[in-house]
Amino acid sequence: MTNRSRIIVPLLLIAAFAVLPLFAQQEADRVKQIGGKFQCMCGCGQVLTQCNHVGCTMSASMLKELGGMVKRGDSEDKITQTFVQEFGTTVYAEPPKSGFSLVAWLMPAFYFLVGAAIVVFFIKKWRKQAPAPAAVAPAGVHISAEAYERARSQADRDTED
Amino acid sequence: MDVFGSFTLLLAFVCAVYALVGGIAAIITRHPLLVKSTRQAGMATCVLIFIATFSLEYLLFTDNFSQAYVVSHSNRDLSTFYKVASLWSGQEGSLLFWSFLLSIYVLSVLIAYRNKNGELMPYVGVVLAGVQTFFLILNNFVESPFKTLATVNASGVLEPFTRLDGNGLNPLLQYPEMVIHPPNLYSGYTGFTIPFAFALAALLARYPGEKWIHLTRKWTMIAWCFQSVGILLGAHWAYAVLGWGGYWGWDPVENASLLPWLTGTAFLHSVMMQEKRGMMKVWNVWLVFCTFMLCILGTFLTRSGIVSSVHAFANSHIGPWFVGFLGLTFVVCFVAYVKNRDYLKSENQLDSMISRESSFLFNNLLFLVACIAVLSGTLFPVFSEWFTSNRISVGAPFFNKIMIPVGLAILFLTGVGPLLAWRKTSGDSLKRNFGWPLIVGLLFGVAAYFLGYRDVFSIICLVLCGFVFWTIVMEFYRGARVISARTGMNMMVSAHELAMRNTRRYGGYVVHFGMVLIFIGLAGSAFNSDVQRPMNLGESMKLGPYTLVLQSTDTKAEKNYTAQRMIVEVLKDNKQLMMLYPEKRQFQGTEQASGTMVSIYSTLREDVYVVFAGMDPDTNLPVIHAFLNPLVKWIWLGGVWVVMGTLLALMPNRRAALAVAAVPQTVASPIAQALNPSVTLREGHD
Repeated sequence: MTNRSRIIVPLLLIAAFAVLPLFAQQEADRVKQIGGKFQCMCGCGQVLTQCNHVGCTMSASMLKELGGMVKRGDSEDKITQTFVQEFGTTVYAEPPKSGFSLVAWLMPAFYFLVGAAIVVFFIKKWRKQAPAPAAVAPAGVHISAEAYERARSQADRDTED
Repeated sequence: MDVFGSFTLLLAFVCAVYALVGGIAAIITRHPLLVKSTRQAGMATCVLIFIATFSLEYLLFTDNFSQAYVVSHSNRDLSTFYKVASLWSGQEGSLLFWSFLLSIYVLSVLIAYRNKNGELMPYVGVVLAGVQTFFLILNNFVESPFKTLATVNASGVLEPFTRLDGNGLNPLLQYPEMVIHPPNLYSGYTGFTIPFAFALAALLARYPGEKWIHLTRKWTMIAWCFQSVGILLGAHWAYAVLGWGGYWGWDPVENASLLPWLTGTAFLHSVMMQEKRGMMKVWNVWLVFCTFMLCILGTFLTRSGIVSSVHAFANSHIGPWFVGFLGLTFVVCFVAYVKNRDYLKSENQLDSMISRESSFLFNNLLFLVACIAVLSGTLFPVFSEWFTSNRISVGAPFFNKIMIPVGLAILFLTGVGPLLAWRKTSGDSLKRNFGWPLIVGLLFGVAAYFLGYRDVFSIICLVLCGFVFWTIVMEFYRGARVISARTGMNMMVSAHELAMRNTRRYGGYVVHFGMVLIFIGLAGSAFNSDVQRPMNLGESMKLGPYTLVLQSTDTKAEKNYTAQRMIVEVLKDNKQLMMLYPEKRQFQGTEQASGTMVSIYSTLREDVYVVFAGMDPDTNLPVIHAFLNPLVKWIWLGGVWVVMGTLLALMPNRRAALAVAAVPQTVASPIAQALNPSVTLREGHD
C-alpha cells in the first residue's frame, strides 16, 4: 500500500461512515413517505405509519416489508404494486387518481360547483323579485302608528343578530 | 328483575303504539279526550322505558350472570363507575340507552307544552311516538337486552344457567371519558328528533308562521351542544387511549357523528334567515329532516357492519331495520312536503349580493358540501365494491385533502358573516369593518411564520383565526362602548351586560371564538413529529427540545387489571420538567385483553405524548414511542368555549327596559309645568 493510499483509504472509510447515517435517514424518510400512502391491514383503518395500537398484528410486518423494499431501492410504483397484489386495493390509504377511484376525488368538487351554481341562481332570482325601493314620503307627511310599529319591529329584527 | 325489565319494555311498546295510532285518530277526530289520553300514553311510554333501563343497570350492578348482556359486558371486578358504562357498551344495551335518552327529551316536550300549541302538539306527539315505536321494536323483538342464558339439558329441555363471572368490559372503554362520551353523543343524536318532530308536525298541520322554529330553537341548540361535546370527548378519548398520537382519524364511525353535526350547524345559521326575512323555509325544513335522517344513517353505519371500523359494534342483522326506517322517514317527509309545499312559500327577496343573507347562503353551501363529501367518502368503499368488485378504501389522507380547504372557507365566512349587514352592506362599511381584522389576521400569520410554522395551510388557518378573533373582539367592543357611554359602567361590565341582553347573538360569537381555538389546535397537527425506539434503563432520546430518559419500570396490580408501567423523565435544557408514566394494562376476565394508557405532558405550545408500545421482540427492551404534538391543548380549550357559548345562547335575554319615573321639579319653567309630572328615561331590566 502506497503512502497515498494509506491516507486515502482511511479518509474514504471516514467519509463512508459519515454518510451512512444520512442514507439511513433518507431511507427512514422514504419509508414514512410511502408508508403514509397505505393503510394498516389489521382493520383499524389507520395509515400504516400511524398504526401503533396495542395488539396490532399487521403494522410491524408491513413496515418491515416496506423497509426491505426501500432498502433494495424499489420504486414507489413497484412497492405499491407489490402491496396491492398482496393485500388488495383496500391497502390504499386514499383512492388512486385513476379509473373508478377518480370519482371519489371529483365528487366533492362537483358538489361544490353544482351547489355554488344553485346558490348563485337563487341569489339572482331573489334579487329580481326584490321590490323597488319605496318612495320617500314628502316632508310633513305623518305615518300611521301601526305602520311605525311595523317598521320598528322590522328594524329590531334586522339588527338583533 | 330481568322479567320485570322485559315486561316494562313490552308495555312501553304497547303504549307507544297506542300513542301513535291513537294520536293519528285524535288528529282526525279532534276528540279532546283522545288527544289527552294519547299524550298520557306518550308520557307512560317514557316512564316505562326509564324503568326498563334502570332494571338493566340493576342487573349489571348486582352481577346477575344469568343474563347474556351482563355476562358479555361486565364482570365481578369491574368498578361501579364502569358498570354504569356497560349499559351502552353493547348493541342491545346501547339501543335501550338510545330509547332512554329519547324518552327524556320526549317527556320534557310533552310536559313543557302540555297546555300550549294545542293545534301542533298532537302532530308532534304522533311523530315522537313513531320514532319511539321504531326503537322499541328493536329493544323488544330484535336486540333485547334481557336475554337469559340457557342450555339444553340431558333430556333435551332448555334450562337456565348462571355463569360464575362475566367477560368484562372492553378495555378500550375503561376510561373516564368513555363514561361521558357516548351519553353526550347519543344525547345529540336523539335530541335532533325534537326539531324534526316539530318541523314535520308544522308541515303536516300547516301551522302558521315561524313558530315551530321559535319553539325548537333551544332544543336544536341543546342537541347541537351535546353532539359537539360528544365529538370532542370522542376525539380526546382517541388521543389519550388509542395511543396513535392523533385525535381524529376519519374513521367511518367518527364521520357518522360529524354528518348530523354539519347539517345541524348549517340549520342553526340558516334558521336566522327564516326568522328575520321569512326566507329559506323549504331549505330549513329539509335541513332538519336531513339532520334527523343522518342521525339514523350514522346509527345504521355504526351498527350494521356495512363499513369497517374499530369503533363499530359487532356485525348484526339490525341493518335492514334501519334502512327500512330511513326509507319510511324519507317517504313520510317527502309526501308531507309535496302535499303542503305551498305552506312553505317564502318571501324570497334579496337586496344585495353583499349582505348577511348571502354569507349565510354560502355558509350553508359549504356545510352541505362538507357533509356530502364526508358521506360519499365514507360510503365510497361500498360503492366501489358494487361497481368494480374491488373495495377501495378511503382513509385520512383523502379526507384531509378535501376537508382542509372547505374548513378554511367556513372559517373565513365565520369572520365575514358578522361584518356584513342584513339586506345590504355598503363599500364604506366593508372597508371600515374589514381593515383591522385583516391586519390582525396578517399579524397572526407573521407571528406563526417566525415561530417556525411553515406549512401553507396552517399559516392560512392561523391568519383566518386572527381575522375571526378580531371580528369577535370588535363586535363586543362596539356594543360594550355604547352601553358604557350610556351607563358609565366599565367596558368589562358593559361587555357582560351586552352579552346578557342578546344572549343568542353574543353566545354565538363565544361559540365562534371556541371554534377559532379549535382551528388553532388543528393547524398545529401539520407539525407533529415522533420518535420510537427500544430503550435501556437510564437511556435517553431526543424529541424536539425535550430529552426523555427511561428511569425505571414497575408493575402495579389493580382490582381489574395489572399494569406494566414505564417511568420516563422529561427534561428541557437539562432541567427536569416532570415524570411521565405510560403503561400497558392486562385486563382480567374470561377474555384476556390489553390496553394502553398514554402519558401526556401538555402545554399551550405543545404536548409531549409518550406511549409504552410493548417489548421489542429482538432485544426484549421496552419500546417507547414519543410524539411532539403542537397546539393540541387549544382544541380542548376551544371545546370548553363552545359549550360556554351555547349555554349563554340558551339563556333568556335580559332586556334593557325604558322605565318611566317621576322626578322632582327643580325649575318652575312653563315647559316644566306643562310636563307635570315630568318623565325621564332610565335604563332598567325586566
